[in-house]
Amino acid sequence: MRTLTVDTRRILYAIAAAIGLFVVGEMAHPGFLSGPSVASILVIASFVGLVAAGQCFVILIGGIDLSVPWVMNAAAILLTTTSLGKNTGAPEAIAAALGMGVAVGVANGIGIALFGIPAVVMTLAANGIVEGLTLGLSGGFTCSSCSSYAPPLIQTLAHGSLLGIPDALWLWAFVTALVSGALAVTRFGRATYALGTNPLAATLAGIDARRMTILLYALCGGFAALGGIMLVGFGGQASLGLGDPYLFTSIAAVVIGGVNILGGRGNYLGVAAGAVSLTVLVSVLLALSMPDYVRSIAYGVVILALLLAYGRENER
Amino acid sequence: MTAPAIAARGVSKSFGGVKALTGASIAVARGSVHALVGENGAGKSTLIKILGGRIAADEGSVETAGPSLRIGTVFQELTLLPYMTVAENLLLGREPRGRLGLIDRAAMPRLAEAELAGLGITHIDPRALAADISLAERQIIEIARVIMARPQVLLLDEATSALVEREVAWLFGQIRALRDAGVAIVFTSHRWGEITSIADEITIFRNGSDVGTFTTIGEDEAITLMTGQALETIFPARFAPSSGPVLLSLRGARAEGTAPLDLDLRAGEILGIGGLAGHGHRALFFGLFGAPGFREGRIEREGRPVRITAPWDAIRAGIALVPEDRKSEGLFLPLSVRDNFTLPILRQLSRFGILRLGAEHATVAESIRRLAVRTPSAQQPVGALSGGNQQKVLLGRWLLTRSRILLLYDVTRGVDVATKHEIYELIAGLAREGYAILFYSSDAEELAHLCHRVKVMRRGAFVAELPADALSAEAIVAAAMRESGQTETPHAA
Repeated sequence: MRTLTVDTRRILYAIAAAIGLFVVGEMAHPGFLSGPSVASILVIASFVGLVAAGQCFVILIGGIDLSVPWVMNAAAILLTTTSLGKNTGAPEAIAAALGMGVAVGVANGIGIALFGIPAVVMTLAANGIVEGLTLGLSGGFTCSSCSSYAPPLIQTLAHGSLLGIPDALWLWAFVTALVSGALAVTRFGRATYALGTNPLAATLAGIDARRMTILLYALCGGFAALGGIMLVGFGGQASLGLGDPYLFTSIAAVVIGGVNILGGRGNYLGVAAGAVSLTVLVSVLLALSMPDYVRSIAYGVVILALLLAYGRENER
Repeated sequence: MTAPAIAARGVSKSFGGVKALTGASIAVARGSVHALVGENGAGKSTLIKILGGRIAADEGSVETAGPSLRIGTVFQELTLLPYMTVAENLLLGREPRGRLGLIDRAAMPRLAEAELAGLGITHIDPRALAADISLAERQIIEIARVIMARPQVLLLDEATSALVEREVAWLFGQIRALRDAGVAIVFTSHRWGEITSIADEITIFRNGSDVGTFTTIGEDEAITLMTGQALETIFPARFAPSSGPVLLSLRGARAEGTAPLDLDLRAGEILGIGGLAGHGHRALFFGLFGAPGFREGRIEREGRPVRITAPWDAIRAGIALVPEDRKSEGLFLPLSVRDNFTLPILRQLSRFGILRLGAEHATVAESIRRLAVRTPSAQQPVGALSGGNQQKVLLGRWLLTRSRILLLYDVTRGVDVATKHEIYELIAGLAREGYAILFYSSDAEELAHLCHRVKVMRRGAFVAELPADALSAEAIVAAAMRESGQTETPHAA
């Protein structure tokens, strides 16, 4: 048997961690591994997975996107307020929400690639700006239209199923295939890895580093908006702060999935497995009916333990 | 020989299964200069690190004349802290103290300046950041820092690789003074002229062990011992340039730090660019490649003007650049040989943005064969290959672009003799096939033997053009130094 590369091993670790956590859940709470339970956990994981897809793109070039939470939130609010809960306005509302996400991403990319602003600063500022704009324009959620629901179309997408498998998982599977394929066998993918490995050499090999950077942040913004749309479809109504947990989980999923935080290595299959691991972990901790504070501690400790295992491997 | 100052006896060392040294021995007397020569990977650097106490030997022993012998090492990799000043680097750990025991920052530049002057270095500003001075200047500061610690044994690993003739002369002056003061000196170099001019003894290494120690030995014999095979000559036989059409012209092209430059490069010729480091060569080569482009003037491609403001413009115009620092400017070390080869030609190897992996595989396999790249597979990370093979991958990448104009910027630096020979043959072969080659080297000998003519740059301008019949290393150096002997070395920012 051929020895596995570090990259492949890491993906296997992430998958093994997810499976292991499912087994722990079953032991703690019989029925945890039943079909509906697994499906509902995976649906929730898919929201993390969508956002992490974008995060994966920017982390592959050594960047990071901290504007994810409010791009998600803004997308959710934009969707409900422009469609007013009706299917007729849904396509326009979806386009507006996705367009907003891409626009924020482009702005992030321009700030980083053209003006040389560090990614952490640029995207953190963007998060604040989008938050302010969202609160200001929606009147802090006091207007009557703001309490609208997501269009039934989107709610069906988040809750419905096809051939016994939830629609949200079909969407996630499609995104997984698309993102993995794009990274593995396209010019875009090769350019991304090259840029993340050595930006100077990539530029000298003819890659337009600025355009690639803007494109990748735009994709990240788009995926965050998509995550926001699915989330509001799942919950029915938008709420303030609905994107907040996704800042940490989207980055953690990418890192647990074996993507080098400094760029250049890793792929989306691992990230998807990382998203599942994190979600199962939360569910297991809930199933163990721990107090809130213990859950927070356990969550942090398990993630650190996973990352420590990777650090050990690096030394070999 | 009297008792040596330092000696290694039967030293072996492995790095994860790869034997770097197998039973190597040398003995260095007080007041003598001992050269270690051998190809890359012959074990010289490993032995230097073991002698200097940086790493421990697996077997064998290192014996010193006394228990508290001061050993100073100049490593191949530069170790200056880039965002500290030259003075702060030199005085690191022994900073002058003022009242209250705080560091006396005001005194540091003066102290450093005085110590540098004591070593005959007056052209480097101690207030400059280490990151802002040239590679050669950093190397000099590195050496100065080690000498200032008054070592009794001085180990120099490739200390001259970044230096030009005049700076090498400075270093050798220092080495002679230290030798006369009784210091034992070990050094490695790939430049034969340097070795014979300074070494009292020469030990030749091959495959991790010493194969002979000599007081005098000819270059041919040494190369035979180093490589295990006789090399008729290192340089390819001379051949006349085909008088092909002019592929590339510069008219009044000015880059940052250069004068307006004129140049004609013909198909089938190797045009050498010579001169001291820091005189605008890099600005010329990178200007032609659009990284960044020239500020004014014209570039003509077979008589038609072209605009080159970014590397992709240059690639589209059929121009390729192989930079000097392959690790930071050329290669993607963790990525595979395949990915490194095909990055600039992915457009040809894809349809609607999706790669045709079969076609790519065939292309890469053909390149590996053509360039005789020694790699277990195309999937191997390029960082795992030897330096010479890495350089071949980088050259091969640009040959795949079908660029007819090759800008080769000091491509043999830090490459061992056997691989140098292969690269020279490759370059000569490309010129015969009709490639137009612009070739910069910090090694005047290499320029003189490989090029059809050489233009010499000084202070950002061409100051001489030496035709084939007037080409020699001495002529190139003379042209580069003329009128600049007394002044300080300028360096282009």
